[in-house]
Amino acid sequence: MRPNFPQCYKIDSKPSKFCPGCSQTLILKNLGFVIDELKIASKVVYGCDIGCMLLSWDFFDLNTVQTHHGRTGPTMVGLKYAAPERIVIAYMGDGGAYAIGAQHLVASSMRNDPITMIICNNTVYAMTGGQEAPTTLCNEITTSTIRGRVCNGSRPLLGPELVRSLNKKAYVARGTTLNISQMKNFIKRAILHQKKGNFSFLEILSGCPINWKTDARETREFLKEIEKTFPTGEIP
Amino acid sequence: MKKEFLMGSKIAVKAALSAGAEAFFGYPITPTTEILEFWAREAENNKKLLFLQTEDEMAAGFATIGAVLSGKKSFTATAGPGNVLIQDAFGMAEAMRIPTVAIIGQRGGPSTGTVIYSQQEVTLTCFGGHGEGHRIVYSPSSLDELYQLVIKAFNSAWQYRFPAFILTDGYLLKMKDEVLLKKPENLIASSPILPKKGFVNLRNCYSFEEELYEVLEKNEKDYQKITPKVKDFEIFGSKNPKILVFSHGIIASSVKAAISSLPKSMKVALFRPITLRPFSQKEALKVASISKKILFVESSLGQFARIVKDNLFGLKIDYDFLYKPALGITPEEIYQKIKKSYYET
Amino acid sequence: MNNTHVLIAGEGGQGVQTIAEILARAAFLEGKHSTYIPNFGVEQRGGVSIAFAQISDKEIVFPKFDKADIMIILCHRAIKRAERYFGKKTLYIYDSTLLKHKGIGIKATTLAKSLSPKVFNMIILGFLSTKLPIKKQSVIRGMEEVLGKKFRKNPQIRELNLKALDIGSKL
Repeated sequence: MRPNFPQCYKIDSKPSKFCPGCSQTLILKNLGFVIDELKIASKVVYGCDIGCMLLSWDFFDLNTVQTHHGRTGPTMVGLKYAAPERIVIAYMGDGGAYAIGAQHLVASSMRNDPITMIICNNTVYAMTGGQEAPTTLCNEITTSTIRGRVCNGSRPLLGPELVRSLNKKAYVARGTTLNISQMKNFIKRAILHQKKGNFSFLEILSGCPINWKTDARETREFLKEIEKTFPTGEIP
Repeated sequence: MKKEFLMGSKIAVKAALSAGAEAFFGYPITPTTEILEFWAREAENNKKLLFLQTEDEMAAGFATIGAVLSGKKSFTATAGPGNVLIQDAFGMAEAMRIPTVAIIGQRGGPSTGTVIYSQQEVTLTCFGGHGEGHRIVYSPSSLDELYQLVIKAFNSAWQYRFPAFILTDGYLLKMKDEVLLKKPENLIASSPILPKKGFVNLRNCYSFEEELYEVLEKNEKDYQKITPKVKDFEIFGSKNPKILVFSHGIIASSVKAAISSLPKSMKVALFRPITLRPFSQKEALKVASISKKILFVESSLGQFARIVKDNLFGLKIDYDFLYKPALGITPEEIYQKIKKSYYET
Repeated sequence: MNNTHVLIAGEGGQGVQTIAEILARAAFLEGKHSTYIPNFGVEQRGGVSIAFAQISDKEIVFPKFDKADIMIILCHRAIKRAERYFGKKTLYIYDSTLLKHKGIGIKATTLAKSLSPKVFNMIILGFLSTKLPIKKQSVIRGMEEVLGKKFRKNPQIRELNLKALDIGSKL
């Protein structure tokens, strides 16, 4: 019996290489379901950054291109403007989107590029072993903030809020892997918004037990805790 | 077909249009800004053309890749510090055999140097992006050649699937001179790399050394296979040279003028690579091995010479050089240097 | 005829590049070979502006040269920048209203007052073209090509420029 997989899943690459307990598989699986439901598989170009999502390069039976760190956005931008009939999705982490790729995020917001950015926010640079990211909480301990992150007059970067401050027309939301049905709904709405010719931006709070060094219960607790810093919901 | 009096940057844009280019992404930087502006104006009047000024050169390079993946002939243009940034994208194009085209307008370096001219981006353009130089690099020596080679770059890129570069400079791009714009004889068609029907999963990061090794081996094999079809050069002057001058780009034109002024009794020739990558190794060795001395003339401290020496490795011969980094070199200066070097041999 | 190296140096805004381009186009329109290339620093406004133009019966391979055959100097600041191109046989033409130099001094700025200060460079061009193997008609055609857009916006400017050119050519 076939497990409950999206049609656009590549069976051969499962089980995937993501860490046990990683929430990204939930994000990607639901992205797959949305693509099935909207019947857009043949139009989708799925771009992924080189964080952990690098491991999703062969996740889907969809046109996929893995790019350099932080550059998934511009690659999808070029492609979308050249082939507007395609649905382009740039899947990046908090580092790719908010650090090395921050200027591309700002530029796409300013231009209202008709692409969909989905950001996996797990508050650390996971692929490289858990260093500080723009979304690391103040006083959070990471391998590069040994005594806890110092927020010098600032706070963790709020991506969706930043996008909204730059662009009124974009679809902007923050979901969490603790609320799958809401997250899946946000993904669908984001993609539909691209079809209307606008920028769509969705950040998803995602658990990283390996780098957080948490067990299953603690992971869920931390995910709930960080909602105080990163409020979920659509940003009007 | 008449001759026109045009600026280098305009000629480059006209060539791209003749080649079937449909998209340009770029960031303003002297001396290539005019290429961006001329294209923007063309795109204003032709809805089939795509133009986007990006937020930086990295975005320009990756957006070019995106448009190429969709099947459109696309190009970008940059220089100096922009060339440094854009190598991020070209490394990916090289690794993944994506046929991007880029016009590099060399300016003084390193760092922000001058906005004017140099031949100091040879290494960066030929071997940038921590790759193995699996690129096609053309070096035009005149405005006519700039026009022809831009068209050739699009053809070579799409036919052989390696990123192609026009390595020119601020002098050629800002210069106005006469040019004959011929309609190209044949054009290689583009096609979507991410297919419209079906799909491909493309990556450039591998889990194991062996996986990457296999990919690089294949790319190297392909590169060797296309080399005889792509490499190009010119020999000018004596058939039996005592001194063989190696030079490229606009300086090679200066060398030709110098050689033409020499007395007939002096046996001097110029070997001018038209492609810096792949290099015409066999042909260069052939001429060099019958010469007594090699003279390098370039507006750099030997970046071009390094490539030549690598290809001539093993040949026992005297070297001399006229290195003027970031400075133009007139025919008169070269003439004096050749005379001096000749009688010292 | 040999290659004639013309170097024009002045303040940014004095029309240095315009003169050089018109010259080069004029030669091209007559079927001669010519090149023109600007040389400037990073400043968008102000700063010294230098232009290189060459006219020849033979193909020109390199847009710059070591020594100028004819050197036009339009401001004092430009002298230092243009010095390296001074040759033993260089013919100097300068605006004597604005600076002192050896060679032929033309009170271009003063003469331009009767027309418009902005066309003083055309007076220089008018005189310069008498020292070059190009016909006055070609210079006028070159001017139309380079300044055509401006002329169409304001036809009075064409008259001023043509008059200035004429004055210069008769000096």
